[in-house]
Amino acid sequence: MKKLFITLLNLFLLSPLIFSQTQTFPRNGVQDERFDLYAFTNATIITDANTTVEGATLIIRGSVIESVGKGISIPQGATIVDLKGKRIYPSFVESYSNYGQPEPVRQGAGGFRGDPQPESKKKGAYNWNQAINPEIDADKVFTVNNGLAEDLRKAGFGSAIVHTQDGIVRGTSALVALMDGKEQDALLKSRVSSHYSFSKGTSTQDYPSSLMGSVALLRQTFYDADWYKKAKGKNEFNISLDAFNNNQGIPQVFEVSDKLGVLRANKIGKEFGIQYVIKGMGDEYQRLDEVKAAGVSLILPINYPITPDVEDPFDEKIVLLTDMKHWEMAPANAGILAKAGINFALTTSNLKSKSDFMANLRKAIENGLEEKTALAALTSTPASMMKVDNLVGSLKSGMMANFLITSDNIFKDGNVIYENWIKGKRYVLSDMNVKDVRGNYDLTINDNAKLKLNVTGKSDKPEYQIVVTDSIKVTPKVSRTGDMLTILYKLDAKKDKGEARVAAYYDGKNIVGQGISADGKPISFVANFKEAMKETPAKPDTARKAKIEMGKLVYPFNGYGSETKPQAETILVKNATVWTNESTGVVQNADVLIQNGKIAQFGKNLSSVGAKVIDGTGKHLTNGIFDEHSHIALFTINEGSQSVTSEVRMEDVINSEDINIYRQLAGGVTSSQLLHGSANCIGGQSAIIKLKWGEAPDALKIPNMDGFIKFALGENVKQANWGDRARVRFPQTRMGVEQIMMDAFLRAKEYEKAMKNVSGLPVKRDLELDALVEILNKKRFITCHSYVQSEINMLLKVADSLGFKVNTFTHILEGYKVADKMKAHGANASTFSDWWAYKMEVKEAIPFNAALMTKVGVNTSINSDDAEMARRLNQEAAKTVMYGGMTEEQAWKMVTLNPAKMMHLDNRLGSIKVGKDADVVLWNNNPLSVYAKPEKVIIDGAIYFDLEKDKMLRATIASERNRLIQKMLASKAGGNPTAKPEMKKPKLMHCNSEGDIYSEETNHEHND
Amino acid sequence: MKNIKYIYLLVFQLLTNTIFAQNQAPANSQTKAIALTGATIHTANGQVIENGVIVFNKGIITAVGNETTTYDKANTETIDLKGKSIYPGLISPANELGLTEINAVRATNDMAEVGGINPHVRALIAYNTDSELIPTVRSNGILITQATPQGEIVAGMSSIMQMDGWNWEDAALKKDDGIHINWVGYFKRDFDQSTFTVSTKKNDKRDETLREVDKTFNDAIAYSQAKSSVTNVKMEAMRGLFDGSKILYISADYGKEIIEAVQFAKSKGVKKIVIIGAEESLLAADFLKENNIPVIVSATHRLPNSADDDTDISYKLPYLLAQKGILVGLGYIGLNWRTRNLPFLAGIVAGHGMDKEDALKLITANNAKILGIDKMVGTLEVGKHATLIVSAGDVLDMRTAKVEHAFIQGRKVDLDDKQKRLYRKYSEKYGTK
Repeated sequence: MKKLFITLLNLFLLSPLIFSQTQTFPRNGVQDERFDLYAFTNATIITDANTTVEGATLIIRGSVIESVGKGISIPQGATIVDLKGKRIYPSFVESYSNYGQPEPVRQGAGGFRGDPQPESKKKGAYNWNQAINPEIDADKVFTVNNGLAEDLRKAGFGSAIVHTQDGIVRGTSALVALMDGKEQDALLKSRVSSHYSFSKGTSTQDYPSSLMGSVALLRQTFYDADWYKKAKGKNEFNISLDAFNNNQGIPQVFEVSDKLGVLRANKIGKEFGIQYVIKGMGDEYQRLDEVKAAGVSLILPINYPITPDVEDPFDEKIVLLTDMKHWEMAPANAGILAKAGINFALTTSNLKSKSDFMANLRKAIENGLEEKTALAALTSTPASMMKVDNLVGSLKSGMMANFLITSDNIFKDGNVIYENWIKGKRYVLSDMNVKDVRGNYDLTINDNAKLKLNVTGKSDKPEYQIVVTDSIKVTPKVSRTGDMLTILYKLDAKKDKGEARVAAYYDGKNIVGQGISADGKPISFVANFKEAMKETPAKPDTARKAKIEMGKLVYPFNGYGSETKPQAETILVKNATVWTNESTGVVQNADVLIQNGKIAQFGKNLSSVGAKVIDGTGKHLTNGIFDEHSHIALFTINEGSQSVTSEVRMEDVINSEDINIYRQLAGGVTSSQLLHGSANCIGGQSAIIKLKWGEAPDALKIPNMDGFIKFALGENVKQANWGDRARVRFPQTRMGVEQIMMDAFLRAKEYEKAMKNVSGLPVKRDLELDALVEILNKKRFITCHSYVQSEINMLLKVADSLGFKVNTFTHILEGYKVADKMKAHGANASTFSDWWAYKMEVKEAIPFNAALMTKVGVNTSINSDDAEMARRLNQEAAKTVMYGGMTEEQAWKMVTLNPAKMMHLDNRLGSIKVGKDADVVLWNNNPLSVYAKPEKVIIDGAIYFDLEKDKMLRATIASERNRLIQKMLASKAGGNPTAKPEMKKPKLMHCNSEGDIYSEETNHEHND
Repeated sequence: MKNIKYIYLLVFQLLTNTIFAQNQAPANSQTKAIALTGATIHTANGQVIENGVIVFNKGIITAVGNETTTYDKANTETIDLKGKSIYPGLISPANELGLTEINAVRATNDMAEVGGINPHVRALIAYNTDSELIPTVRSNGILITQATPQGEIVAGMSSIMQMDGWNWEDAALKKDDGIHINWVGYFKRDFDQSTFTVSTKKNDKRDETLREVDKTFNDAIAYSQAKSSVTNVKMEAMRGLFDGSKILYISADYGKEIIEAVQFAKSKGVKKIVIIGAEESLLAADFLKENNIPVIVSATHRLPNSADDDTDISYKLPYLLAQKGILVGLGYIGLNWRTRNLPFLAGIVAGHGMDKEDALKLITANNAKILGIDKMVGTLEVGKHATLIVSAGDVLDMRTAKVEHAFIQGRKVDLDDKQKRLYRKYSEKYGTK
């Protein structure tokens, strides 16, 4: 009878019309209120990650937990469900989902593929930028999607925090139960959290076109919202800014796309006093120290890279060691972070198939994640992180009745999740009432009584075998529905013409049935229970026990990374030829002592106790090279969408993992100005770094120095070579460029005045104008991309008329024509050694430019603007000896002291002088020679490049690759899916080229 | 009197600045034997002759040797070059100098014809002897360039040009020396805007293109064997590949592409094969050696293709290949103005292990052999063209590479160029020296 009841109950439960709890809808039929009171008894209840109660009872009434614990009395009217031997867990909480949210749709082409779109396409009183959508509330657009809900239910989830994942500011999320039925039932809480990202999503508006533009836009939105709040609607009515303000105060969640994004988002949070919860990408372990220091809570995906197919030794070469290492270590991410004490929730987000979740979670556990932490990361942690721990995430009186019934420890391979109850509604994933048929039976088929039936395997997936004789064993095809079994078999493979078919039932002990043989005759089938299945002792779980082989965590996370970051040492370089860049010139047989990151002593026959002594005999010691114009170590270069983008900062997009940092160290470069591109008149703010390979972005920056900014003139800013589509943005001529410059600074002056005026309506803080005001106040300095003399002259006149200075003209290929004017203005020049003829405005460029400007008295440097050329800037400097007859010392200063001067750093860098930064290079030859190679490169007293260590790194790369390749081959042989070999790297410029793999690198014709 | 002379000179110089808005005139043919003495002669066949003597007449070298070398001093103009260095004129293969003036200005671009299969187009025709770029490259000692089309798949025919001449006919050293083909890549690149990453993956769509190339060669073989009443200019152009009168230059970087392309060409009966690029050819080095295939390696001034590569792999690749016994040349493939740095491409190889004289060969003797012009140029030997340069010192090192004289087939070339003229003009403006 009980059996029947359960069957009926099942039927009712699945019928939404009857079960609907919705109170506000008219009812079709009679009132049908029920007790909906259940007592789950004799269970092992895991109420939260830290508490397990054996033999406990859980009582739920309707959608809520009434009580939970040991020895609690069962109220009258409760349906009792005996869960002896089974477990109850809180259902998992999905903290980062777009479940039930409309799919964002991109309107039109946009970006560099479509026509320019300076303004938002969203009609109404919304933000000026299409990527700022704080007004979207997830609850308002939420619809139930049972198919997707079911995928999550099967993975153990009972509720999810959902939002529309589109844009930089994304509005609020809602907590929903993963149920079928009406939205009114599924929605648990609106405005749970407020969401952000760096991705403009489906916005087709031009701005922002870069990562640093996204950062700037978000920062500006904070100031806009603040202004809006203060003005109390007297300035304008803005739904978006209003929503932005209202969305503060609830958990703030930021989605990023890599480990450096975690640091970037956290920095924005710090600026505005917000502690973001950060949705990461699963590679956070690669910057463990910095992520830990950030003190953020994370939401982590557990998708892992597919094994690259590395069978072919040619094709394998394009798979980078960094990707191989990540393939190996990605499953260890959660465990590594947990050990470091970083708080995180786990999400199914980023998984291609939600059904992979459990298997991937088990992998994380095998790789060091403790089960307790894993459970917390799926229940209490996300609930408290998102402030919904009063509703979901643990089993307590008054909480939502969201729980799982399992056969075993939920993380154990072979565990079955029987049921997932959500808001008191039962979802059966696997019928737990199906009887266990496993055991050994004596089988009689018709008159053959010598047969045996053995049922083994797992209780929910039994395996059947008919033993005919000791040597003949047949595996029948058995399908089962409840206690009814359909059995097909062929006892004699030769004689039997086809399958015999039997319909049988299990009576709790025996299996009895009848059927029809292959030749159409009736069959009687009786299997009498003889003994229980002999438990074969479970194989020791080798996967879990065996120590998992794992490569080393290195910084940065690629082949040339190191386990420890270089530290400043006391170093004594003996008997070298020292290029001082001071009045002493080049000194033979000299010693240099480096201490505490500075040059401590310079002279002859120095000694220092405990110093690391480097023999400089026959070698040359110089300052490190300063590349005044560089675009390495950046994720994006141009925010080219508007003519003035002084609000963007290159420091927001520093890529500390760029291999070009190491390559340039190997060429003797120690400092670089990372410049914005030249796509617009007023570009972004520079990041000036030292090439401290291994450090994270902020630690690369040179502290306590003046700010710099990129300006540009000529063909690029007037989009002369951008094709016919780019004929919209002002300016399209050099005439217009002047006006953009004048207008920008006039606006900045008015803004500065207005900001000082405290009466009247508040003035909106404007990051773009802030940077220009800094220029006017000599707090920020211009590096201006320029080519022809007319435009150089123009900017000098604009600057003179408005009272500011142009600090540096970069490229400045016609600088030789106006060197006298530049000198009068006090401008520096940073140029190429010999580039020309790649576009119209460089047809009068000459390689004598640097020498000629120097002779006129302009402080001149040679720069690279090219990741490859920067590796041999010493040779580029040497060309000034050949073109224009510079002395070798003059030439050498072009890449050391002179750029330091134009960066206002010559009091710290640029010469070998006691007290200056110990940024030095030891060369095997005259540094200007084509044959010269750096042997050691020291920055702030720490050795960042060493030829001997480089050899070891190369050997390690080879051996690590080999080890990982063997591991990947084993993984493939073990049946794991593989992906075609692929190389992924951040790209600085637009590129969509098909064809030869290497065409792009060789075609490094200038785009700047 | 002296002052007047200076004024005269000054006026003359001012005039020259305005008069020579165009390139200076090509040099006249050699009329009298010339002997260069006292310099260090790098013959590019491995020999270095201190205090050497080189004599040439009617454009041909008649004697090379040390100070004891005798020649008809009465009828020879002797130039004392004590302390200087003499090298063969440098040879730039697979280049687009003369085919384009300013890359960004479409009207000046004549290096790539439309369409995928263009064996018949001739770079020679577009080669602009009046290009302002040519004298600047020549100023650094590059005296011979292989004008090379840069089309899609079968790009067309190259010609080898001397970098001094009134017109292309005049300048041609070897017309239509070979056909250039860009092998279809094994991998392709895609850019993902959402993540700003470039991914390199296997190119699954290359078969169709390869079949078209295969058909083209099959058709050309059939055409060359059968007599056709109709002339097909494409097929006609390819005839020389099968009788050895034309070289097949295949651009391929990746080991597999190289093996595949060479196997293909051999199966079609192509007699002379050269691989261009070869950036990832180390895995195919044994194959190249066994099949006796020479390579022209991409400019050493490039980044490694993989972050895992040795940081200096591109600097030492020519050396590593040469060590395997492969004939290696070096060039600025598909570039133009940059080519003036050709000697430094070789210099950097010497900085990374290769013997300096061997590094010199990469841009002289080896390039000449690979292009099939080694009977005429590439080394300083009796009987070869007097195509040579005189530099202040080591030509592979920019500190000393200043080229002071150049002779092409004995003609003394004017080493002035637009950039030097602008330099003089503005040096005068500022009164600097």
